[in-house]
Amino acid sequence: MVPKKPKIAVFKFASCDGCQLSLLDAEDELLLVAGAVEIANFLEASRRVVKGPYDIGLVEGSITTPHDVERVREIRKECRVLITIGACATAGGIQALRNWKDVKEFTRIVYASPEYISTLDRSMPVGSYVHVDFELRGCPINKYQLLEVLNAFLNNRKPTIPTYSVCMECKLKGTVCVMVAGGTPCLGPATQAGCGALCPSYARGCYGCFGPMENPNTSALSRHFTELGESNLDIMLAFRGFNAYAEAFRKESDAHE
Amino acid sequence: MSKTVTIAPVTRIEGHAKITIHLDDKGTVTDARFHVNEFRGFEKFCEGRLMWEMAGITSRICGICPTSHLITSAKAGDDILAVAIPPTAEKLRRLITLAQWIQSHALSFFHLSSPDFLLGFDSDPATRNIFGLIAKDKEFARRGIRLRKFGQEIIEVLGSRRIHTPWAVAGGVREPFEVSKRDYLLAWIPEARETALLALKTLKSIHENFSTDIPNYGNFRSLFVGLVAPDGALEYYDGTIRIMDGGGNIIADKIDPHSYSDQFGEATEDWSYLKFPYYKPLGYPQGMYRVGPLARVNICDYIDTPLAEEERQIFKAMAGQAEAVNNSFYYHYARLIELLFAVEKAEALLNDPEILNPHVRSKAMINRLMGIGVSEAPRGTLFHQYWVDENGVLQKVNLIIATAQNNLAMNRTVRQLAMRYIDGNKITDGILNRIEAGIRCFDPCLSCSTHAAGQMPLHVQLFDADHRLLDEIRR
Ligand code: SF4
Ligand code: SF4
Repeated sequence: MVPKKPKIAVFKFASCDGCQLSLLDAEDELLLVAGAVEIANFLEASRRVVKGPYDIGLVEGSITTPHDVERVREIRKECRVLITIGACATAGGIQALRNWKDVKEFTRIVYASPEYISTLDRSMPVGSYVHVDFELRGCPINKYQLLEVLNAFLNNRKPTIPTYSVCMECKLKGTVCVMVAGGTPCLGPATQAGCGALCPSYARGCYGCFGPMENPNTSALSRHFTELGESNLDIMLAFRGFNAYAEAFRKESDAHE
Repeated sequence: MSKTVTIAPVTRIEGHAKITIHLDDKGTVTDARFHVNEFRGFEKFCEGRLMWEMAGITSRICGICPTSHLITSAKAGDDILAVAIPPTAEKLRRLITLAQWIQSHALSFFHLSSPDFLLGFDSDPATRNIFGLIAKDKEFARRGIRLRKFGQEIIEVLGSRRIHTPWAVAGGVREPFEVSKRDYLLAWIPEARETALLALKTLKSIHENFSTDIPNYGNFRSLFVGLVAPDGALEYYDGTIRIMDGGGNIIADKIDPHSYSDQFGEATEDWSYLKFPYYKPLGYPQGMYRVGPLARVNICDYIDTPLAEEERQIFKAMAGQAEAVNNSFYYHYARLIELLFAVEKAEALLNDPEILNPHVRSKAMINRLMGIGVSEAPRGTLFHQYWVDENGVLQKVNLIIATAQNNLAMNRTVRQLAMRYIDGNKITDGILNRIEAGIRCFDPCLSCSTHAAGQMPLHVQLFDADHRLLDEIRR
């Protein structure tokens, strides 16, 4: 008997679709993957919705409405393993910037009848409502990391995803430190690796799209920014980016408000 | 009993949407609507950010066309700095814009639409997708996947990653180009050109096979809006706005993008988060217009690459004397003409020695307190307008997105299809899929158009002929 193909489902909440598109971006792998697993629910690519339960559920996007909360709880029940993909699902995403503003004011401005809009006050990570088995970082995620995580879970092993900082990637690449050499403020020392130190290789500081590394020393980094001449506003904005609502970054940005 | 049929969410388009179809007592369609129910709030939460950050932030509006937002935002930044960017920077930005067209247009045709055409609208929905296509015609699917990859490769070679590259910046781009990278990309051209031609050939046979369906796909007159080059050629990065009516007459031309707000207004409706832009002189909703491939290929005087120009003439001939091509189904055709153009034009740019010049960025401080950026995103004209203070802190942001500009026309298309195919109470999967396919002609990108926070729960409304609310259901 042919063994049953594992079922993978992709779910979307508030997001830009960039993370799930990384799956389509794995072109060479796509043709292979198509044979090895059953993509049971992937709206971006098909209307097919195969009923759960699923072996793996990939969740993209942040939770922004009461309906989202219900839906993500349902999804959790249907998935043996639940993985969040990207900064939106893992930390609330760039739209979490609205968590510092009055959402009512937003809807009034863009919408004639704001009473029709049903939205939570905040854009929240998936993990604040349901248990998440693995959080894949990035805005967007790195497709090789995604393939590694899928492979690991399908083979019941732990994914090998580095948790060190972007600084380590600069060293590995031989990129000159933008902060030491250029005096450019850079979130690299507090940000988890994954992008291959992309911004520093353009001689620009990292703005943290992979979110805080394990135990980041954000206050030491802020002090360093101050020495480089950055204002409180600059520091607040630097930490309040694509991972603004991730705890370590949120606290540091609030401290400079 | 009158009733409403809901299809939610619409699949194989980017993001989420909902359609409601309104029936009367006899089961005849009286209205059908395309609703968008995601709302993220970019315009508002960008207030207080720095102008320099906008290219990176607005690229997160959409994972399909991040590069279009990146470039348009950088252009609004150029305007605020009041600088002319180095010619090489413009050429590189043009190249990445074409790459965006290639990957997005290839995705639209091969991954999203061709399964309907090649496997049939009435085939099993479980396999009517890119995976089903791989199973049926692996070579065709493989070539389509590779053509999209070519577009993504250009973006990756220039910007180091495909989605949300930090490469463009107000004043230019961050890194000069290199010979080895150019040669690598040039080597792709023959294959890419051939696949674009294959797509066109395939689409033409589809035109024959679906000749009875096609007249129902959003066949109506509307205005067409887009950018054209100073000499009237098809344009994608710069130029001025031209407006054509459904009879093929140019009714406004050489409009400076800075005055777009004099020309276009934005209406809102209770039942959709997506706004309804319209051409002000004609009012709402008469000022309905279409943007994107169908509009661009209609309004331009010519295309400055040989193969695409040849195709454009065939396209034009379909319209008959002094008419624009008004059928929305031909969005697909126009899209593939543009795909071919983008490949040809990318080759020309790659062969331009100036593209290797190392001077790619002009530096300046804040010199103007307002800036506008405009470009042609794959789905149509994209506007970014920013108001800043002397330190470059954003005071106000306005974004007009291609998909929103097609909103009125998409609704009209859905209505036309519902009226043609829904008869009484029988609604087959084939009918539902035709309506979805009608929307897919426009290749709408809902992540973009809902740039504005969250998600509206499913919400179905029933109206009588006087637009009085008869009933409503929420869930
Ligand atoms: S994390 Fe970034 S790339 Fe991924 S869906 Fe969210 S905005 Fe898009
Ligand atoms: S912002 Fe930081 S994590 Fe993101 S690409 Fe740049 S260097 Fe990498």
